[in-house]
Amino acid sequence: MTAWQKDFGRKAPLLLAPALGLLALFVVWPLIRAAWWSVSDADLLAPDRAHFTGWTNYSDLLGDPRFRRAFFNTALFAVLIVPLQTVGALFLALWVNRPEPAWRWLRVVFFLPVVVSLPVLAVVWSLLYQPEQAGQTGLVNAALGLFGIEGQAWLRDPQLALPALVAMSIWQGVGLQMMVFLAGLQSVPRDQLEAAQLDGASAWQRLVHVVLPSLRNTTVFVVTVTTILSFRLFVQPYLMTRGGPDDHTLSLVEYIYEMTFLNLELGRACAAALLFLIWVGFLTLLQRLFFREIKA
Amino acid sequence: MSAGKTGKTGAAWIVSGIVGVVFLAPLLWTLLGSFREEAAIFQLDWRSLSNADTWTLSNYADAWRRAALGPALLVSAAQVAIIVAGGLFVNSLAAFAFARLRFRGSGALFAGVVILIILPVEVIAVPMFFTARDLGMTGGFGPALAGLTLPFMAKAFNVYFLRQHFLTVPVQLEEAAVIDGAGVWRQFWNVALPSIKPALATVVVIDVLTHWGDFLWPLLIATREETRTVQIGLANLFTQPPVQWGDILACAVMATLPVLLLFRWLQRYIVTTQVQAGIK
Repeated sequence: MTAWQKDFGRKAPLLLAPALGLLALFVVWPLIRAAWWSVSDADLLAPDRAHFTGWTNYSDLLGDPRFRRAFFNTALFAVLIVPLQTVGALFLALWVNRPEPAWRWLRVVFFLPVVVSLPVLAVVWSLLYQPEQAGQTGLVNAALGLFGIEGQAWLRDPQLALPALVAMSIWQGVGLQMMVFLAGLQSVPRDQLEAAQLDGASAWQRLVHVVLPSLRNTTVFVVTVTTILSFRLFVQPYLMTRGGPDDHTLSLVEYIYEMTFLNLELGRACAAALLFLIWVGFLTLLQRLFFREIKA
Repeated sequence: MSAGKTGKTGAAWIVSGIVGVVFLAPLLWTLLGSFREEAAIFQLDWRSLSNADTWTLSNYADAWRRAALGPALLVSAAQVAIIVAGGLFVNSLAAFAFARLRFRGSGALFAGVVILIILPVEVIAVPMFFTARDLGMTGGFGPALAGLTLPFMAKAFNVYFLRQHFLTVPVQLEEAAVIDGAGVWRQFWNVALPSIKPALATVVVIDVLTHWGDFLWPLLIATREETRTVQIGLANLFTQPPVQWGDILACAVMATLPVLLLFRWLQRYIVTTQVQAGIK
Protein backbone atom coordinates (compact mmCIF):
# COMPACT_ATOMS: atom_id res chain seq x y z
CA MET A 1 0.00 0.00 0.00
CA THR A 2 1.42 3.32 -0.98
CA ALA A 3 0.73 6.75 0.40
CA TRP A 4 -0.92 8.14 -2.71
CA GLN A 5 -3.45 5.32 -2.85
CA LYS A 6 -4.57 6.22 0.66
CA ASP A 7 -4.38 9.90 -0.12
CA PHE A 8 -6.54 9.56 -3.24
CA GLY A 9 -8.81 7.21 -1.28
CA ARG A 10 -10.59 10.23 0.09
CA LYS A 11 -11.83 10.84 -3.45
CA ALA A 12 -13.19 7.27 -3.73
CA PRO A 13 -16.82 8.18 -2.93
CA LEU A 14 -16.78 10.58 -5.86
CA LEU A 15 -15.56 7.91 -8.26
CA LEU A 16 -17.91 5.25 -6.95
CA ALA A 17 -21.02 7.39 -6.69
CA PRO A 18 -22.25 7.24 -10.31
CA ALA A 19 -22.03 3.46 -10.70
CA LEU A 20 -23.12 2.53 -7.19
CA GLY A 21 -25.88 5.12 -7.24
CA LEU A 22 -27.31 3.70 -10.46
CA LEU A 23 -26.97 0.12 -9.19
CA ALA A 24 -28.75 1.06 -5.96
CA LEU A 25 -31.56 2.83 -7.78
CA PHE A 26 -32.15 0.39 -10.65
CA VAL A 27 -31.03 -2.95 -9.22
CA VAL A 28 -31.05 -3.04 -5.41
CA TRP A 29 -34.19 -0.94 -4.89
CA PRO A 30 -36.28 -2.94 -7.42
CA LEU A 31 -35.00 -6.13 -5.79
CA ILE A 32 -36.19 -4.92 -2.37
CA ARG A 33 -39.55 -3.98 -3.86
CA ALA A 34 -39.82 -7.38 -5.54
CA ALA A 35 -39.09 -9.04 -2.19
CA TRP A 36 -41.82 -7.00 -0.47
CA TRP A 37 -44.39 -7.56 -3.21
CA SER A 38 -43.64 -11.27 -3.20
CA VAL A 39 -45.11 -11.53 0.32
CA SER A 40 -48.05 -9.28 -0.44
CA ASP A 41 -51.22 -9.24 -2.51
CA ALA A 42 -49.81 -6.54 -4.84
CA ASP A 43 -51.83 -5.88 -7.97
CA LEU A 44 -50.18 -4.60 -11.15
CA LEU A 45 -52.60 -1.68 -11.43
CA ALA A 46 -52.18 -0.52 -7.83
CA PRO A 47 -48.90 -1.87 -6.46
CA ASP A 48 -48.73 0.68 -3.64
CA ARG A 49 -51.89 -0.62 -2.03
CA ALA A 50 -50.40 -4.01 -1.20
CA HIS A 51 -51.09 -5.89 2.04
CA PHE A 52 -48.81 -8.37 3.71
CA THR A 53 -50.01 -11.90 3.06
CA GLY A 54 -47.08 -13.99 4.27
CA TRP A 55 -45.95 -16.97 2.24
CA THR A 56 -49.24 -17.51 0.40
CA ASN A 57 -47.77 -16.48 -2.98
CA TYR A 58 -44.94 -18.95 -2.56
CA SER A 59 -47.14 -21.82 -1.45
CA ASP A 60 -49.63 -21.02 -4.23
CA LEU A 61 -46.82 -21.13 -6.76
CA LEU A 62 -45.44 -24.44 -5.56
CA GLY A 63 -48.95 -25.86 -5.86
CA ASP A 64 -49.57 -24.35 -9.31
CA PRO A 65 -49.14 -27.02 -12.00
CA ARG A 66 -48.38 -24.31 -14.59
CA PHE A 67 -45.49 -22.99 -12.53
CA ARG A 68 -44.12 -26.50 -12.09
CA ARG A 69 -44.56 -27.04 -15.81
CA ALA A 70 -42.61 -23.81 -16.52
CA PHE A 71 -39.84 -24.89 -14.18
CA PHE A 72 -39.70 -28.37 -15.70
CA ASN A 73 -39.59 -26.99 -19.26
CA THR A 74 -36.84 -24.50 -18.46
CA ALA A 75 -34.81 -27.13 -16.61
CA LEU A 76 -35.21 -29.55 -19.51
CA PHE A 77 -34.13 -26.80 -21.90
CA ALA A 78 -31.00 -26.21 -19.80
CA VAL A 79 -30.24 -29.91 -19.40
CA LEU A 80 -30.34 -30.32 -23.19
CA ILE A 81 -28.52 -27.10 -24.07
CA VAL A 82 -25.63 -27.07 -21.62
CA PRO A 83 -23.88 -30.34 -22.53
CA LEU A 84 -24.68 -30.17 -26.26
CA GLN A 85 -23.61 -26.58 -26.68
CA THR A 86 -20.48 -26.94 -24.55
CA VAL A 87 -19.26 -30.04 -26.37
CA GLY A 88 -20.26 -28.54 -29.71
CA ALA A 89 -18.41 -25.31 -28.98
CA LEU A 90 -15.31 -27.20 -27.86
CA PHE A 91 -15.42 -29.33 -31.01
CA LEU A 92 -15.77 -26.27 -33.25
CA ALA A 93 -12.96 -24.47 -31.41
CA LEU A 94 -10.62 -27.45 -31.92
CA TRP A 95 -11.69 -27.65 -35.56
CA VAL A 96 -11.02 -23.99 -36.43
CA ASN A 97 -7.96 -23.63 -34.20
CA ARG A 98 -5.46 -23.77 -37.06
CA PRO A 99 -2.67 -21.32 -37.79
CA GLU A 100 -3.50 -20.54 -41.45
CA PRO A 101 -5.22 -17.12 -41.65
CA ALA A 102 -7.80 -18.52 -44.06
CA TRP A 103 -9.44 -20.39 -41.16
CA ARG A 104 -10.55 -17.09 -39.76
CA TRP A 105 -13.50 -16.97 -42.14
CA LEU A 106 -14.88 -20.19 -40.66
CA ARG A 107 -14.68 -18.66 -37.17
CA VAL A 108 -16.65 -15.69 -38.47
CA VAL A 109 -19.24 -18.07 -39.98
CA PHE A 110 -19.86 -19.80 -36.66
CA PHE A 111 -19.89 -16.50 -34.79
CA LEU A 112 -22.30 -14.76 -37.15
CA PRO A 113 -25.58 -15.89 -35.46
CA VAL A 114 -24.27 -14.36 -32.21
CA VAL A 115 -24.00 -10.99 -33.93
CA VAL A 116 -27.52 -11.22 -35.35
CA SER A 117 -29.78 -10.53 -32.40
CA LEU A 118 -31.98 -13.16 -30.80
CA PRO A 119 -35.40 -11.64 -31.59
CA VAL A 120 -34.45 -11.46 -35.29
CA LEU A 121 -33.38 -15.10 -35.26
CA ALA A 122 -36.47 -16.20 -33.36
CA VAL A 123 -38.64 -14.66 -36.09
CA VAL A 124 -36.52 -16.11 -38.91
CA TRP A 125 -36.55 -19.59 -37.38
CA SER A 126 -40.32 -19.48 -37.03
CA LEU A 127 -40.40 -19.29 -40.82
CA LEU A 128 -37.73 -21.97 -41.18
CA TYR A 129 -39.76 -24.36 -39.02
CA GLN A 130 -42.92 -23.63 -41.03
CA PRO A 131 -44.69 -26.89 -41.99
CA GLU A 132 -46.06 -27.30 -45.48
CA GLN A 133 -48.92 -24.91 -46.08
CA ALA A 134 -50.49 -24.23 -49.47
CA GLY A 135 -47.37 -25.51 -51.23
CA GLN A 136 -45.02 -23.44 -49.09
CA THR A 137 -42.55 -25.39 -47.00
CA GLY A 138 -40.07 -23.99 -44.49
CA LEU A 139 -36.39 -24.58 -45.12
CA VAL A 140 -36.03 -27.21 -42.37
CA ASN A 141 -38.72 -29.48 -43.79
CA ALA A 142 -37.56 -28.78 -47.35
CA ALA A 143 -34.03 -29.86 -46.42
CA LEU A 144 -35.29 -32.99 -44.66
CA GLY A 145 -37.39 -33.72 -47.73
CA LEU A 146 -34.22 -33.97 -49.82
CA PHE A 147 -33.27 -36.97 -47.67
CA GLY A 148 -36.75 -38.43 -47.88
CA ILE A 149 -37.59 -37.54 -44.28
CA GLU A 150 -41.18 -36.50 -43.70
CA GLY A 151 -41.75 -32.90 -42.64
CA GLN A 152 -42.98 -32.07 -39.13
CA ALA A 153 -45.03 -29.26 -37.63
CA TRP A 154 -42.07 -28.45 -35.40
CA LEU A 155 -43.43 -25.61 -33.30
CA ARG A 156 -46.97 -26.98 -33.05
CA ASP A 157 -46.13 -30.53 -31.99
CA PRO A 158 -46.02 -30.84 -28.17
CA GLN A 159 -43.23 -33.41 -28.41
CA LEU A 160 -41.10 -31.42 -30.87
CA ALA A 161 -41.57 -27.78 -29.91
CA LEU A 162 -39.05 -27.67 -27.06
CA PRO A 163 -36.38 -29.69 -28.94
CA ALA A 164 -36.92 -27.32 -31.89
CA LEU A 165 -36.21 -24.32 -29.65
CA VAL A 166 -33.17 -26.14 -28.26
CA ALA A 167 -31.75 -26.78 -31.74
CA MET A 168 -32.26 -23.15 -32.78
CA SER A 169 -30.74 -21.87 -29.55
CA ILE A 170 -27.64 -24.04 -29.86
CA TRP A 171 -27.15 -22.86 -33.44
CA GLN A 172 -27.47 -19.29 -32.22
CA GLY A 173 -25.17 -19.47 -29.22
CA VAL A 174 -22.51 -22.05 -30.03
CA GLY A 175 -20.27 -19.49 -31.77
CA LEU A 176 -19.85 -17.39 -28.64
CA GLN A 177 -18.75 -20.37 -26.55
CA MET A 178 -16.46 -21.41 -29.41
CA MET A 179 -14.71 -18.03 -29.17
CA VAL A 180 -14.28 -18.47 -25.41
CA PHE A 181 -12.76 -21.93 -25.95
CA LEU A 182 -10.52 -20.55 -28.72
CA ALA A 183 -9.16 -17.96 -26.30
CA GLY A 184 -8.64 -20.77 -23.78
CA LEU A 185 -6.83 -22.92 -26.34
CA GLN A 186 -4.18 -20.22 -26.75
CA SER A 187 -3.04 -20.92 -23.19
CA VAL A 188 -2.47 -24.66 -23.73
CA PRO A 189 1.24 -25.19 -23.03
CA ARG A 190 2.87 -25.71 -26.41
CA ASP A 191 5.97 -27.49 -25.08
CA GLN A 192 3.78 -30.14 -23.41
CA LEU A 193 1.93 -30.70 -26.68
CA GLU A 194 5.20 -31.12 -28.57
CA ALA A 195 6.63 -33.40 -25.89
CA ALA A 196 3.49 -35.56 -26.05
CA GLN A 197 3.75 -35.71 -29.82
CA LEU A 198 7.41 -36.77 -29.64
CA ASP A 199 6.42 -39.49 -27.19
CA GLY A 200 4.06 -40.79 -29.85
CA ALA A 201 0.80 -39.77 -28.19
CA SER A 202 -2.15 -39.86 -30.58
CA ALA A 203 -4.24 -36.77 -31.28
CA TRP A 204 -6.93 -38.19 -28.95
CA GLN A 205 -4.43 -38.80 -26.14
CA ARG A 206 -3.04 -35.29 -26.53
CA LEU A 207 -6.58 -33.90 -26.32
CA VAL A 208 -7.50 -35.85 -23.19
CA HIS A 209 -4.22 -35.53 -21.29
CA VAL A 210 -2.89 -32.12 -22.31
CA VAL A 211 -5.56 -29.92 -23.91
CA LEU A 212 -8.62 -30.68 -21.78
CA PRO A 213 -6.90 -30.31 -18.38
CA SER A 214 -5.62 -26.86 -19.31
CA LEU A 215 -9.13 -25.85 -20.46
CA ARG A 216 -10.59 -26.57 -17.01
CA ASN A 217 -11.21 -22.93 -16.03
CA THR A 218 -12.58 -22.11 -19.46
CA THR A 219 -15.00 -25.03 -19.25
CA VAL A 220 -16.21 -24.01 -15.79
CA PHE A 221 -16.86 -20.53 -17.14
CA VAL A 222 -18.68 -21.79 -20.24
CA VAL A 223 -20.86 -24.27 -18.31
CA THR A 224 -21.81 -21.72 -15.64
CA VAL A 225 -22.66 -18.97 -18.11
CA THR A 226 -24.59 -21.29 -20.43
CA THR A 227 -26.64 -22.68 -17.54
CA ILE A 228 -27.67 -19.26 -16.28
CA LEU A 229 -28.36 -17.98 -19.81
CA SER A 230 -30.55 -20.97 -20.62
CA PHE A 231 -32.63 -20.50 -17.45
CA ARG A 232 -33.37 -16.96 -18.66
CA LEU A 233 -35.14 -18.38 -21.72
CA PHE A 234 -37.82 -15.92 -22.86
CA VAL A 235 -37.49 -14.50 -26.38
CA GLN A 236 -37.78 -17.86 -28.17
CA PRO A 237 -41.02 -19.03 -26.52
CA TYR A 238 -42.47 -15.51 -26.51
CA LEU A 239 -42.00 -15.03 -30.24
CA MET A 240 -41.97 -18.57 -31.63
CA THR A 241 -44.56 -20.51 -29.63
CA ARG A 242 -46.14 -18.22 -27.02
CA GLY A 243 -45.32 -20.92 -24.55
CA GLY A 244 -47.38 -23.43 -26.47
CA PRO A 245 -48.45 -25.86 -27.69
CA ASP A 246 -50.33 -26.63 -24.49
CA ASP A 247 -47.65 -25.01 -22.27
CA HIS A 248 -44.96 -27.37 -23.56
CA THR A 249 -42.51 -24.48 -24.10
CA LEU A 250 -43.70 -22.25 -21.25
CA SER A 251 -40.52 -20.96 -19.58
CA LEU A 252 -40.04 -19.45 -16.12
CA VAL A 253 -39.56 -15.91 -17.43
CA GLU A 254 -42.52 -16.29 -19.78
CA TYR A 255 -44.57 -17.40 -16.76
CA ILE A 256 -43.47 -14.34 -14.77
CA TYR A 257 -44.32 -12.10 -17.74
CA GLU A 258 -47.79 -13.60 -18.14
CA MET A 259 -48.48 -13.55 -14.40
CA THR A 260 -47.62 -9.83 -14.37
CA PHE A 261 -49.22 -8.51 -17.52
CA LEU A 262 -52.01 -10.95 -18.30
CA ASN A 263 -53.10 -11.98 -14.78
CA LEU A 264 -51.99 -8.65 -13.23
CA GLU A 265 -50.92 -10.65 -10.15
CA LEU A 266 -47.79 -8.69 -9.32
CA GLY A 267 -47.28 -10.33 -5.93
CA ARG A 268 -47.28 -13.83 -7.30
CA ALA A 269 -45.10 -12.81 -10.26
CA CYS A 270 -42.51 -11.35 -7.87
CA ALA A 271 -42.57 -14.51 -5.78
CA ALA A 272 -41.90 -16.51 -8.96
CA ALA A 273 -39.07 -14.12 -9.87
CA LEU A 274 -37.47 -14.55 -6.45
CA LEU A 275 -37.75 -18.34 -6.60
CA PHE A 276 -36.06 -18.06 -9.99
CA LEU A 277 -33.28 -15.95 -8.46
CA ILE A 278 -32.79 -18.39 -5.57
CA TRP A 279 -32.56 -21.23 -8.05
CA VAL A 280 -29.96 -19.43 -10.20
CA GLY A 281 -27.93 -18.60 -7.08
CA PHE A 282 -28.14 -22.22 -5.94
CA LEU A 283 -26.96 -23.47 -9.34
CA THR A 284 -24.03 -21.05 -9.40
CA LEU A 285 -22.97 -22.16 -5.93
CA LEU A 286 -23.39 -25.83 -6.83
CA GLN A 287 -21.24 -25.52 -9.92
CA ARG A 288 -18.51 -23.68 -8.04
CA LEU A 289 -18.41 -26.36 -5.34
CA PHE A 290 -18.55 -29.19 -7.87
CA PHE A 291 -15.70 -27.87 -9.99
CA ARG A 292 -13.57 -27.03 -6.96
CA GLU A 293 -13.98 -30.67 -5.95
CA ILE A 294 -12.60 -31.86 -9.29
CA LYS A 295 -9.61 -29.59 -8.93
CA ALA A 296 -8.73 -30.96 -5.49
CA MET B 1 3.66 -38.12 -46.11
CA SER B 2 3.54 -34.65 -47.59
CA ALA B 3 0.99 -35.64 -50.21
CA GLY B 4 -1.09 -37.32 -47.51
CA LYS B 5 -1.02 -34.17 -45.44
CA THR B 6 -2.07 -32.02 -48.37
CA GLY B 7 -4.91 -34.46 -49.01
CA LYS B 8 -5.96 -34.24 -45.39
CA THR B 9 -5.94 -30.43 -45.43
CA GLY B 10 -7.93 -30.47 -48.66
CA ALA B 11 -10.52 -32.77 -47.11
CA ALA B 12 -10.71 -30.53 -44.06
CA TRP B 13 -11.39 -27.59 -46.36
CA ILE B 14 -14.15 -29.38 -48.26
CA VAL B 15 -15.86 -30.54 -45.05
CA SER B 16 -15.50 -27.03 -43.60
CA GLY B 17 -17.00 -25.49 -46.73
CA ILE B 18 -20.04 -27.75 -46.63
CA VAL B 19 -20.53 -27.34 -42.87
CA GLY B 20 -20.11 -23.57 -43.22
CA VAL B 21 -22.76 -23.28 -45.93
CA VAL B 22 -25.23 -25.50 -44.05
CA PHE B 23 -24.60 -23.53 -40.86
CA LEU B 24 -25.22 -20.25 -42.63
CA ALA B 25 -28.24 -21.52 -44.60
CA PRO B 26 -30.82 -19.81 -42.33
CA LEU B 27 -29.11 -16.45 -42.78
CA LEU B 28 -28.52 -16.91 -46.52
CA TRP B 29 -32.18 -17.88 -46.93
CA THR B 30 -33.23 -14.74 -45.03
CA LEU B 31 -31.16 -12.55 -47.34
CA LEU B 32 -32.44 -14.34 -50.45
CA GLY B 33 -36.08 -14.27 -49.35
CA SER B 34 -35.93 -10.57 -48.54
CA PHE B 35 -35.49 -9.85 -52.28
CA ARG B 36 -38.31 -12.08 -53.50
CA GLU B 37 -42.00 -11.73 -54.18
CA GLU B 38 -44.27 -13.08 -51.44
CA ALA B 39 -45.37 -16.16 -53.36
CA ALA B 40 -41.81 -17.06 -54.39
CA ILE B 41 -40.09 -16.91 -51.00
CA PHE B 42 -40.39 -20.63 -50.37
CA GLN B 43 -39.60 -21.60 -53.99
CA LEU B 44 -35.97 -22.53 -54.18
CA ASP B 45 -36.02 -24.38 -57.54
CA TRP B 46 -34.07 -23.07 -60.50
CA ARG B 47 -37.13 -22.25 -62.60
CA SER B 48 -38.45 -19.88 -60.01
CA LEU B 49 -35.05 -18.41 -59.14
CA SER B 50 -34.28 -17.64 -62.80
CA ASN B 51 -37.59 -15.90 -63.30
CA ALA B 52 -36.93 -12.16 -63.03
CA ASP B 53 -40.56 -11.50 -62.00
CA THR B 54 -40.05 -13.29 -58.67
CA TRP B 55 -37.42 -10.77 -57.55
CA THR B 56 -38.30 -7.46 -55.96
CA LEU B 57 -37.02 -4.60 -53.83
CA SER B 58 -40.44 -3.58 -52.58
CA ASN B 59 -40.13 -5.69 -49.38
CA TYR B 60 -37.53 -3.23 -48.16
CA ALA B 61 -39.67 -0.19 -48.86
CA ASP B 62 -42.73 -1.86 -47.28
CA ALA B 63 -40.85 -3.03 -44.18
CA TRP B 64 -39.24 0.38 -43.76
CA ARG B 65 -42.65 2.02 -43.79
CA ARG B 66 -44.71 -0.58 -41.90
CA ALA B 67 -42.22 -1.13 -39.06
CA ALA B 68 -41.35 2.61 -38.95
CA LEU B 69 -37.72 1.55 -39.24
CA GLY B 70 -36.34 5.07 -39.65
CA PRO B 71 -37.30 6.18 -36.13
CA ALA B 72 -36.77 2.65 -34.75
CA LEU B 73 -33.17 2.52 -35.98
CA LEU B 74 -32.58 5.93 -34.47
CA VAL B 75 -33.97 4.83 -31.10
CA SER B 76 -31.94 1.61 -31.11
CA ALA B 77 -28.72 3.35 -32.16
CA ALA B 78 -29.16 6.08 -29.55
CA GLN B 79 -30.02 3.49 -26.90
CA VAL B 80 -26.90 1.40 -27.55
CA ALA B 81 -24.61 4.43 -27.90
CA ILE B 82 -25.77 5.96 -24.61
CA ILE B 83 -25.56 2.70 -22.67
CA VAL B 84 -22.08 1.92 -24.03
CA ALA B 85 -20.60 5.40 -23.59
CA GLY B 86 -22.21 6.11 -20.23
CA GLY B 87 -21.56 2.58 -19.00
CA LEU B 88 -17.91 2.67 -20.00
CA PHE B 89 -17.49 5.86 -18.01
CA VAL B 90 -19.27 5.01 -14.75
CA ASN B 91 -18.12 1.38 -14.63
CA SER B 92 -14.44 2.05 -15.32
CA LEU B 93 -14.48 4.90 -12.80
CA ALA B 94 -15.80 2.58 -10.09
CA ALA B 95 -13.49 -0.24 -11.21
CA PHE B 96 -10.50 2.07 -10.95
CA ALA B 97 -11.50 3.12 -7.44
CA PHE B 98 -11.86 -0.52 -6.36
CA ALA B 99 -8.55 -1.52 -7.99
CA ARG B 100 -6.33 1.37 -6.93
CA LEU B 101 -7.69 3.46 -4.10
CA ARG B 102 -7.53 2.50 -0.44
CA PHE B 103 -10.57 3.45 1.62
CA ARG B 104 -12.68 2.01 4.40
CA GLY B 105 -15.36 -0.43 3.36
CA SER B 106 -13.77 -1.06 -0.04
CA GLY B 107 -13.80 -4.83 0.35
CA ALA B 108 -17.40 -5.01 1.59
CA LEU B 109 -18.70 -2.69 -1.14
CA PHE B 110 -16.91 -4.67 -3.82
CA ALA B 111 -18.30 -7.94 -2.47
CA GLY B 112 -21.75 -6.37 -2.66
CA VAL B 113 -21.20 -5.51 -6.31
CA VAL B 114 -19.92 -9.01 -7.13
CA ILE B 115 -23.05 -10.62 -5.63
CA LEU B 116 -25.20 -8.57 -8.03
CA ILE B 117 -23.48 -10.22 -11.04
CA ILE B 118 -25.65 -13.32 -10.94
CA LEU B 119 -28.88 -11.34 -10.68
CA PRO B 120 -30.74 -11.86 -13.97
CA VAL B 121 -32.45 -8.71 -15.21
CA GLU B 122 -35.68 -10.68 -15.68
CA VAL B 123 -36.02 -11.06 -11.91
CA ILE B 124 -36.30 -7.32 -11.32
CA ALA B 125 -37.70 -6.20 -14.68
CA VAL B 126 -41.19 -5.48 -13.35
CA PRO B 127 -40.27 -3.50 -10.18
CA MET B 128 -37.57 -1.80 -12.28
CA PHE B 129 -40.34 -0.73 -14.62
CA PHE B 130 -42.20 0.90 -11.73
CA THR B 131 -39.04 2.68 -10.58
CA ALA B 132 -38.44 4.00 -14.10
CA ARG B 133 -42.09 5.05 -14.36
CA ASP B 134 -42.00 6.84 -11.00
CA LEU B 135 -38.97 8.78 -12.25
CA GLY B 136 -40.93 9.85 -15.33
CA MET B 137 -39.00 7.67 -17.75
CA THR B 138 -41.90 6.62 -19.91
CA GLY B 139 -43.73 8.42 -22.65
CA GLY B 140 -42.14 10.47 -25.42
CA PHE B 141 -38.76 10.15 -27.09
CA GLY B 142 -36.58 11.79 -24.43
CA PRO B 143 -38.06 10.10 -21.33
CA ALA B 144 -38.27 6.72 -23.06
CA LEU B 145 -34.64 6.94 -24.12
CA ALA B 146 -33.69 7.67 -20.52
CA GLY B 147 -35.79 4.69 -19.46
CA LEU B 148 -34.14 2.47 -22.05
CA THR B 149 -30.60 3.43 -21.07
CA LEU B 150 -30.14 4.65 -17.47
CA PRO B 151 -31.07 1.36 -15.74
CA PHE B 152 -28.42 -0.53 -17.75
CA MET B 153 -25.42 1.80 -17.60
CA ALA B 154 -23.97 0.58 -14.33
CA LYS B 155 -23.25 -3.13 -14.58
CA ALA B 156 -21.88 -5.20 -11.76
CA PHE B 157 -20.10 -7.56 -14.15
CA ASN B 158 -18.39 -4.72 -16.01
CA VAL B 159 -17.17 -3.14 -12.77
CA TYR B 160 -15.75 -6.52 -11.72
CA PHE B 161 -14.25 -7.28 -15.15
CA LEU B 162 -12.58 -3.88 -15.54
CA ARG B 163 -11.25 -3.97 -11.97
CA GLN B 164 -9.53 -7.27 -12.69
CA HIS B 165 -7.89 -5.68 -15.73
CA PHE B 166 -6.78 -2.59 -13.84
CA LEU B 167 -5.11 -4.95 -11.35
CA THR B 168 -3.00 -6.56 -14.10
CA VAL B 169 -1.47 -3.18 -15.03
CA PRO B 170 1.77 -2.52 -13.12
CA VAL B 171 1.14 0.17 -10.54
CA GLN B 172 4.56 1.76 -11.21
CA LEU B 173 3.17 3.45 -14.31
CA GLU B 174 0.72 5.38 -12.14
CA GLU B 175 3.35 6.00 -9.49
CA ALA B 176 5.36 7.93 -12.03
CA ALA B 177 2.31 10.04 -12.86
CA VAL B 178 1.77 10.85 -9.18
CA ILE B 179 5.36 12.01 -8.83
CA ASP B 180 4.71 14.25 -11.82
CA GLY B 181 1.91 15.79 -9.78
CA ALA B 182 -1.08 14.18 -11.51
CA GLY B 183 -4.33 14.25 -9.56
CA VAL B 184 -6.65 11.28 -9.22
CA TRP B 185 -8.62 12.32 -12.30
CA ARG B 186 -5.62 12.65 -14.63
CA GLN B 187 -4.25 9.44 -13.28
CA PHE B 188 -7.48 7.65 -14.14
CA TRP B 189 -8.15 9.27 -17.49
CA ASN B 190 -4.62 9.67 -18.93
CA VAL B 191 -2.72 6.76 -17.40
CA ALA B 192 -4.93 3.93 -16.16
CA LEU B 193 -7.73 3.96 -18.73
CA PRO B 194 -5.54 3.81 -21.87
CA SER B 195 -3.64 0.85 -20.42
CA ILE B 196 -6.74 -1.41 -20.43
CA LYS B 197 -7.98 -0.59 -23.94
CA PRO B 198 -8.46 -4.24 -24.99
CA ALA B 199 -10.66 -4.90 -21.94
CA LEU B 200 -12.69 -1.78 -22.73
CA ALA B 201 -13.15 -3.03 -26.29
CA THR B 202 -14.40 -6.38 -24.97
CA VAL B 203 -16.95 -4.59 -22.79
CA VAL B 204 -18.09 -2.49 -25.76
CA VAL B 205 -18.58 -5.57 -27.97
CA ILE B 206 -20.58 -7.45 -25.32
CA ASP B 207 -22.72 -4.42 -24.48
CA VAL B 208 -23.46 -3.59 -28.12
CA LEU B 209 -24.52 -7.17 -28.90
CA THR B 210 -26.59 -7.46 -25.71
CA HIS B 211 -28.47 -4.20 -25.96
CA TRP B 212 -29.04 -4.15 -29.71
CA GLY B 213 -30.93 -7.40 -29.10
CA ASP B 214 -32.78 -6.19 -25.98
CA PHE B 215 -36.36 -7.34 -26.06
CA LEU B 216 -38.13 -7.73 -22.71
CA TRP B 217 -37.23 -4.28 -21.38
CA PRO B 218 -38.16 -2.25 -24.50
CA LEU B 219 -41.36 -4.29 -24.61
CA LEU B 220 -42.21 -2.94 -21.15
CA ILE B 221 -40.97 0.61 -21.32
CA ALA B 222 -40.96 1.88 -24.91
CA THR B 223 -44.56 1.25 -25.83
CA ARG B 224 -45.34 4.31 -27.94
CA GLU B 225 -44.83 4.01 -31.65
CA GLU B 226 -42.16 6.72 -31.84
CA THR B 227 -40.11 5.08 -29.07
CA ARG B 228 -40.08 1.53 -30.45
CA THR B 229 -36.73 -0.16 -30.94
CA VAL B 230 -35.85 -2.14 -34.06
CA GLN B 231 -36.52 -5.49 -32.39
CA ILE B 232 -39.99 -4.44 -31.26
CA GLY B 233 -40.75 -3.12 -34.76
CA LEU B 234 -39.77 -6.48 -36.22
CA ALA B 235 -41.78 -8.40 -33.63
CA ASN B 236 -44.83 -6.30 -34.48
CA LEU B 237 -44.47 -7.07 -38.19
CA PHE B 238 -44.34 -10.72 -37.21
CA THR B 239 -47.31 -10.76 -34.84
CA GLN B 240 -49.73 -8.21 -36.30
CA PRO B 241 -51.69 -9.03 -39.44
CA PRO B 242 -51.36 -8.87 -42.34
CA VAL B 243 -48.26 -11.03 -41.96
CA GLN B 244 -46.00 -10.57 -44.99
CA TRP B 245 -42.98 -12.91 -44.97
CA GLY B 246 -41.07 -10.72 -47.44
CA ASP B 247 -41.41 -7.63 -45.25
CA ILE B 248 -40.38 -9.59 -42.17
CA LEU B 249 -37.24 -10.90 -43.86
CA ALA B 250 -36.31 -7.47 -45.25
CA CYS B 251 -36.83 -6.01 -41.78
CA ALA B 252 -34.64 -8.75 -40.28
CA VAL B 253 -31.85 -7.85 -42.72
CA MET B 254 -32.12 -4.13 -41.99
CA ALA B 255 -32.22 -4.77 -38.22
CA THR B 256 -28.99 -6.74 -38.54
CA LEU B 257 -26.92 -4.61 -40.92
CA PRO B 258 -25.94 -1.84 -38.46
CA VAL B 259 -24.61 -4.22 -35.83
CA LEU B 260 -22.89 -6.30 -38.51
CA LEU B 261 -21.07 -3.25 -39.88
CA LEU B 262 -20.14 -2.16 -36.37
CA PHE B 263 -18.93 -5.65 -35.62
CA ARG B 264 -16.63 -5.67 -38.66
CA TRP B 265 -15.10 -2.50 -37.31
CA LEU B 266 -14.84 -3.82 -33.72
CA GLN B 267 -13.52 -7.18 -34.88
CA ARG B 268 -9.96 -5.91 -35.19
CA TYR B 269 -10.00 -5.14 -31.47
CA ILE B 270 -11.21 -8.64 -30.65
CA VAL B 271 -8.48 -10.11 -32.85
CA THR B 272 -5.89 -7.89 -31.15
CA THR B 273 -7.12 -9.07 -27.77
CA GLN B 274 -6.71 -12.66 -28.92
CA VAL B 275 -3.23 -12.04 -30.26
CA GLN B 276 -2.23 -10.45 -26.98
CA ALA B 277 -3.71 -13.38 -25.09
CA GLY B 278 -1.61 -15.62 -27.33
CA ILE B 279 1.62 -13.83 -26.53
CA LYS B 280 1.20 -14.19 -22.76
